[in-house]
Amino acid sequence: MIAKAPIVAVDAVRKVYGQANEQQYEALHDVSFQVQAGEFVGIMGASGSGKTTLLNILSTLDQPTSGSVKINQQEITQLRGNQLADFRAKEIGFIFQDFNLLENMTAYENIALPLSLQNVSAKKARPLIEKIAVTLGIDKILNKYPTEISGGQKQRVAAARALVHEPSILMGDEPTGALDSKSAKSLLDTMTTLNQQQQVSILLVTHDPFSASYCQRILFIKDGQIGQELKRGDRSKAAFYQDILGVLGRTEQ
Amino acid sequence: MLFKLSLTGIKSRFKDYLVLFSGLVMAAAIFYMFETLATNHSFIKANSTLALAPFIFQFGSILLAIITFVYILYANSFLLSMRKRDYGLFMMLGAKSGKLGQLIFIETLAIGVLSLLMGVIVGIGLTTLVGQLLIQRLDATALHFSAFYGPALVVTVLFFLVLFIVAALMNQRVLRKTPVLALLKSTAQPAHVQVRPAKTVSQVIFGLVSLAIGYVAMHQIGTLQMLGIAIALVTIVVGTYLVFNSLFTWLLTRLKRHTAFASRGLNNFTLAQLNFRIFDYNRMLALVTLLFALALGAITTGMGFQKNIKLFTESAPYDVVLHDPTASIKQAATKIDIKKQNHYMYKVGANTVYFSRDQFDQQPVYVQKPWRKNQTTTKYQLTYGREMNQQNPLLWQQSLQELLLPRDSQKTIKLVDQATFAQTSGRTQQLTTIVARDFFAELPTIKRVTQLDQRHNKVATSYDMGSTKYDAYQMMNGLLSGFEFMGFFLGVAFLAMLASCLMFKILSGAASDRTRYRMLDKIGTRQRLLRGAIAKEIGVLFLLPGVVGVIHVLFGLQMFTTTGLLPHAYHDLWLPFLIFLVLYSLYYLLTVKLYQNIVLKK
Repeated sequence: MIAKAPIVAVDAVRKVYGQANEQQYEALHDVSFQVQAGEFVGIMGASGSGKTTLLNILSTLDQPTSGSVKINQQEITQLRGNQLADFRAKEIGFIFQDFNLLENMTAYENIALPLSLQNVSAKKARPLIEKIAVTLGIDKILNKYPTEISGGQKQRVAAARALVHEPSILMGDEPTGALDSKSAKSLLDTMTTLNQQQQVSILLVTHDPFSASYCQRILFIKDGQIGQELKRGDRSKAAFYQDILGVLGRTEQ
Repeated sequence: MLFKLSLTGIKSRFKDYLVLFSGLVMAAAIFYMFETLATNHSFIKANSTLALAPFIFQFGSILLAIITFVYILYANSFLLSMRKRDYGLFMMLGAKSGKLGQLIFIETLAIGVLSLLMGVIVGIGLTTLVGQLLIQRLDATALHFSAFYGPALVVTVLFFLVLFIVAALMNQRVLRKTPVLALLKSTAQPAHVQVRPAKTVSQVIFGLVSLAIGYVAMHQIGTLQMLGIAIALVTIVVGTYLVFNSLFTWLLTRLKRHTAFASRGLNNFTLAQLNFRIFDYNRMLALVTLLFALALGAITTGMGFQKNIKLFTESAPYDVVLHDPTASIKQAATKIDIKKQNHYMYKVGANTVYFSRDQFDQQPVYVQKPWRKNQTTTKYQLTYGREMNQQNPLLWQQSLQELLLPRDSQKTIKLVDQATFAQTSGRTQQLTTIVARDFFAELPTIKRVTQLDQRHNKVATSYDMGSTKYDAYQMMNGLLSGFEFMGFFLGVAFLAMLASCLMFKILSGAASDRTRYRMLDKIGTRQRLLRGAIAKEIGVLFLLPGVVGVIHVLFGLQMFTTTGLLPHAYHDLWLPFLIFLVLYSLYYLLTVKLYQNIVLKK
């Protein structure tokens, strides 16, 4: 098998908060890792471990102090202004913990937003939106407003919006954080299906071991450094879950 | 304890309260500003010959009261929306709804009284400033005008107290009736507008008919008198609101359905934004339209009166006429930028004034033309001595009489040849006529020279029946500058109210918009597109009232032409409109910039 270029390549990334003359706080310390195309990778860590900082840098919302981040072979730390906006719009799909849907637009309009930003005509957009809606099981609620649907449905709409323009990678920041266990499980199942059948690369940041057990590989982050890596391999989800709990138990002590 | 809690609630949202507070202060200040004119009957009587003027002001008061009322309701709903969550939380923690009702009542009233106090102070300051500035700039005589006026103070305080008590009661009621859950989640409730075609169509028709009735009433003001103003007031307010309520809603739905438009860039988002706040916006648009029309109308009529003064002034042929000027007066007259200067000799007898005819052949003099129909000002033409016996003697006689000193102006004019003039007994006197290059630019000098001439010839200073530009200016300015003052003063007041309204609306929505624009930024919208979306959304708020407001003014000017108050109201309309539009556009740009900075700041 030919080694393909990784979809995400993080190399020696540091992030320091505070000015040089003030008290400084190093949120990320020399972080390096890669995500291959089609992988489903989780990043786990407790609060304050630096995982949100890492995700903000990966999603270009924040810049590292030093180091390099490449997504789809493009260096993103140097992007500014319009390039940055366009990169976000084309290459990254993002799901937030609190959904971040626009409550003044219907589900359909919310999903259509990334397409209209790229000036895809309404005619071409419709089949794309309908297809992703069917995949995520929300085709019945497309004309409803966010206030009229449940949390699980909102997160599916958010996922559809993140995926409709076929980004290089889907990033999730605790996407199941605000969901009940049933909706959470169903969303994670859907993400697994997307990953396995449509080869969508997924990067999931979470502190919840159950969500993490859906991943193929988990990076544990602690005090701004990647401490341990866990691969699922051929194990069952339940077994993997136990392993994760084990790692967490050890690192917590 | 609860009181303390609610106080900390205020502290945490101090910025929002500042917006609310400044909006209310402006409303009170401008209401006071208007009332200083409207309740000041001696001012109105002294400054307008029109018997209708007090009524016009009374109706103006009512209209402003309606506008202020809607404005306060709007501000109040903003206050309530800020507090709903807090009070919902208190209720969840076990506070009794009666107690909370009391609290919101006190809070609303306290904010009201505080802003009323500030508003009156700001109002007095503003009135002084604008009043003095206008009197100076316009050389206007605003008799009995006073920035601190008791009755205006009383009316303002009473009106706003009543308004705030009503608002406080309403808040109390809303808080008691709304379920806790709805209070907690009230911010996320969008307004879904069901467009029912039958309702829309009937609203459009009813609105347009109302407007038409109002326009006709304004045209027929001469016969309808007070009733006309009353009718126009009601129908135009109602019509404006209905038209926006139906047409604007309909337009949004149409544009949304127009997928080629909606799916481009952030258009759909902008439409959703507008749709989201449609009820607020409809009210706002109607409000702003009325204020726009009032401000533009006031400034246009103000300028119309100014133009009238100019027109009459410039119809006089000579800027200054000197009689037997001394060396010092001549010296003073050289300061004027003179276009043409003539000297004539005359002798005064017991009942006759003698001029040599020849001198008019060398230096023709301006003589009135016969009065024609539809003429508003006297027209003059240069006339030679030899023509003066052929035409109507009354015309040239009168024109020459007007140039003389008051004590000679009743005497018969006789034109004689040079030899006869020399033999006629009496002292030879000199008459100097001066045409300046620009009367209004030279006004101070002209005023000085005229006064010197009057003093030298012992003419009473109150005499203003002469025929020079300065005389005409004195007379017309005394007659019309009161109107002019009112026009500009009210124009400024309404413009300030309009600015405050729009600013308030826009700032009150900024907090919730921030999260939306932040999200759009996160999913990769270019900055330019975000800025464009803001400019478009606010642009709608500015453009629609502007268009409808201009139409209102165009019809409203009928009131002035049909009553003969401003016969040329439609002439040179572009000037006040242009000035106003430039101000309005500047204000638009400022608002957009401000909003972009608030909403897009990281």
